[in-house]
This record gives sequence, C-alpha cells and structure tokens, in this order.
Amino acid sequence: MADPIKLAYFMAVKEGASYLGGLLVTDTSGIPLDFRYTEPITPTRLQSILYGKSLEPHLKEEVIQKTLLKELKTPPDLFILSAAELAGGWSGDAKYPVLAVQKSQESALAKVGDTFRAGPRDLLLQLTEGAAPLRVMFAASVDPAAQEQAVVKLLEAGYHMDLTEPLERVGVALQSLVVKES
Amino acid sequence: MFGKVKDAMADAAETLRRTFAGLAVREVAPEPFICRDHGARPLGAVPRPGLEPPMAALTQMPLLEDAAEGKALELLHAELREEEGWARWGAETEVIRMAPLEPGQATRMAVPPLPRKVRALGTVEPPARPEVRRVAEPLAPPALRRLNPELASVDVEPGLEAILALAVPIQGEDIQRLPKGLWMRYSLQLVRGTGVNVRNLEVLGLFRIPRKGVANLRHDPRKSRIMVQLESAAVRAPRAPFILARRKDDGALLSCFVEEP
Repeated sequence: MADPIKLAYFMAVKEGASYLGGLLVTDTSGIPLDFRYTEPITPTRLQSILYGKSLEPHLKEEVIQKTLLKELKTPPDLFILSAAELAGGWSGDAKYPVLAVQKSQESALAKVGDTFRAGPRDLLLQLTEGAAPLRVMFAASVDPAAQEQAVVKLLEAGYHMDLTEPLERVGVALQSLVVKES
Repeated sequence: MFGKVKDAMADAAETLRRTFAGLAVREVAPEPFICRDHGARPLGAVPRPGLEPPMAALTQMPLLEDAAEGKALELLHAELREEEGWARWGAETEVIRMAPLEPGQATRMAVPPLPRKVRALGTVEPPARPEVRRVAEPLAPPALRRLNPELASVDVEPGLEAILALAVPIQGEDIQRLPKGLWMRYSLQLVRGTGVNVRNLEVLGLFRIPRKGVANLRHDPRKSRIMVQLESAAVRAPRAPFILARRKDDGALLSCFVEEP
C-alpha cells in the first residue's frame, strides 16, 4: 500500500513589527497531522535598514520556512502556499513541489481530471463535476514532469477535501496564537 | 675673570677722575656768527638760439580759391607773443639773508608724548562678550564595534492543539461514483447500525473521518460537507467511511461507521 499523501500548507504573516509562520501538514481529507509555528521574530531597526526590501522574503523563506521544514520528519508530497507568496518569487526546494492553489472564476472543464494549461507554470484543474476549476501555480523550481506528478496528487486529495481551505485555517490559527501571546 | 676686569675698569676710572679733578674751568664768550655777503651777482637769463617764439607765415591755397570749401577756409593770422618768463625770473630773484644765530635765543621745547590709549567716543558696547576658549584635549579614537546583522534562528513550537481547535471541513464523497455493490453493502450496514428502515432514511453523505477523536460534527448541506471538531486522538486514528443520514419521519440525524471490504 502506498504511503498516504501529505500536504504541507505554509503561511507566514506579519503582525506589527514581528513575523511568524506556521506549517500545517494534513492528510488527503484535510485532517491535521502536524502543525508547527515559529515564535514571533522581531527584526531590530538596524537589521531592517541593512536588509531593506529583502528582509521580508528572507525572513519568510530562509528563516521561517526552512526552520519549520527542518522540524518535519518526512518531507511533504506537496508544499502549498498562498498565491501572493508564490508570485513574490518563491524559489522553493527541489525536494518537493512548491505550488499555490486558488479558486477560479473560469467555466468548468469537460470532466473531472481535465487540465487546461494557461502557462508553463500555471494551469486549471477540474476537481469536481460542474464546479469552477482550481487554478494551480507552480514555483519556478518545479519542472514539467514534477508538475504532472503533483497534478495527480492534487486530484486524489481534491476528491476528499477543499484544497484551498487548510491555508485559511493556518491563517486563523496564527492569528489566534498572536492574540494569545500578546 | 670678570671680577678682575671690573677691578681694572674701576682703577682706570678712579685714575681719570683724579687726573681731571684739579683742572680749572673757564667760560669763553662765543663769537657771534656773522654771515658775510661776498656780493654775489643776481642770476640772469640768457636767451639761446632755437628758443625763439614760433612764427607762422601766411600762405595761400590758390587751387582751392574757387571751390566752395575753399571759400570757407579762413586765412591764418599769426600773433606774435613773447615769453618773459626767463627775464622775470631773473629780475625777481630775491636773496634771502639768514639772521645770525645768537646765544641764549634757543629754547628747549619738550615734545608732548603721544597718548598711549585713544578713547573712543560714541561706541556701542556689545550686549555680551563671547569668551573664546581653547580646547586642547585631543579627541579620543572611536571604539570599533561589530554588529552581526544575521537574523537569529527562531524557535519552533508544536501547535497541533491550536489547529485542532478549528473545525475541519470534510468533503462528502460522490456516492454515484461508488461501485453499486459497495454502496449496497454500505446501505445494509447503515440499516443494521441504525435500526431504521431504509425507506425511512435519507443519506446525506459518505465521509471519511477518523475512527476516534471526533468530538463534534455539524452538517453543512449547502456545501455537502461536515464540519468536525477533532481531538488529538484523531490525528493517528485510522480513517473509516462514515455515513450520515436523516430519518425522514422526524428529521433526526443518524450516523454510523461502515466497514470497508
């Protein structure tokens, strides 16, 4: 029997002058298997000046994301983050495909499992009958073959769960943790 | 050495003093200074050739006589002038005779000293006089400090309980896509499990949920899903098909886990 698919949902948020991130690992039903979050990082004024515009991407990708991934015992099958983060130039890791999923307003494709490629790293995926297709965007590090494999896993998971919902849950959980700590 | 020279100088001075001490002093009336006139002739001016006054000769321009421009020309008239300067200078020379100096007429005049300070009048005093101070202490060399801009590593906290506090939506499976035999098997288990006639049951959905650790669940008919509240025991619990149904006569919700073949 094949190992169950693990989906990792990553989100990093800025609360005031602090940054914190969370990583939720779910099964294909969206049930949490693991959730870890970082302590809020507050860069000093000097660090903010020295890093400039690269501070936020560096913190999110190099510090928060890599720290959270180190804590995982097994790498996830898919690493899912928000479309805004991915559009910001997320480089990703070759160990697992990095992608973003987003609900679209496009008309439904012919049948479940159909894909429509809108770009080399952007495609529409029909998950449920008659519903609007899911928009999937891959990071630059994901080659076409890896994209195909990722689509198969997305289809399998999308049959049981809403693929976009867990990311909202991570955001809500981080907000609640910030409120609790403050 | 200097003592000997000093003694010698003192001896010489004493010798000179004694030598001239006995000399008589006589006063001699000075002879009055008389300036003698030797009859010097007054200076005279001697005209020299070449210094005659300029003379102009009248000339005519016959060629231009008839021309209109020529008529406009006036004849030049020369006027004889004389320069009497040399003669007048010689004639007016005056011999100044110096009066003889006489003794006792000179008086000593003391030159008053210049004032050392000049008093300025009408000046406006400044409201304050700034004091100029000189700082002689050298600046201390600056201390060199190094600040590592590297961001510190962050601590990771487990937060499974925080995420389990949020309800998890679980999508219902499409019953129509299930094999007919499998669905009949599931229906039979539902009737056995609930004890309700199959005609009195309305199936709301088939969901895969953990066998343990489900604290609460709520049906969301609009999206054909259930919202389950999980406990930590649910994380490692195996997933099993779960049928949610409604009893038609009273609308009560019924559910049961069904066995997979």
